[in-house]
Amino acid sequence: MTSTVITNGIRKLRFEHAEMTQQELADRISVTRQTVNAIEAGKYSPSLEVAFRIAKVFALRVDEVFQFAEPARGSRK
Amino acid sequence: MSFREKTAWVTLIALVLVSLMYWLHIPSLFEPHRHGWVLLVLALSLGTFVLIEVIAWLVFYVRNPKETRTPKDEREQIIALKASRISSWVFTAGTFIAIFLTLHLAGAGPVAMGMSVVIAFVLAQVVRQAAIIIYYRRGA
Repeated sequence: MTSTVITNGIRKLRFEHAEMTQQELADRISVTRQTVNAIEAGKYSPSLEVAFRIAKVFALRVDEVFQFAEPARGSRK
Repeated sequence: MSFREKTAWVTLIALVLVSLMYWLHIPSLFEPHRHGWVLLVLALSLGTFVLIEVIAWLVFYVRNPKETRTPKDEREQIIALKASRISSWVFTAGTFIAIFLTLHLAGAGPVAMGMSVVIAFVLAQVVRQAAIIIYYRRGA
């Protein structure tokens, strides 16, 4: 079975943007702080809409915030 | 702990407490001329459940009004849907078991079937709240 993994650099980007807190980012993209935490930890892959909102906050493209990695066949997440 | 997780805990605890309160009175259903009394216990149990939920919501509102007013975000909606899917299986299985028991057990009438369906419904709701809590705990 082939599974996909989406990684991101949101935590680093937050600190590069005036040490923005998870709550501040959450308020700007209309989700809860817990959801931002889950996205940062790679436990939840956001919808395309939320991904675009996050990218917009940091004035970046979506693929500069999120990276797609396809693990080797046979491995499961 | 998020507002949704806290409300899931409150609902789970309230469900278990109120169900226990209700089911402890069930043996009296089988006594003659006590059907109305059991309906009263059912109404009181439902009232107690609603009261616990309202009081908990008010406490959460006073402590953090903003969090209470915030609508569910996409992750919270997905968690609720996943939990509902699991609980629907429990309810479906419970309902089929209730029908089976009513049809095959001697002396099991419509009252027993109704009670079995209520048990299935309560169990499904307990499973739903437990699933929500587990999903939040896992950070999914």
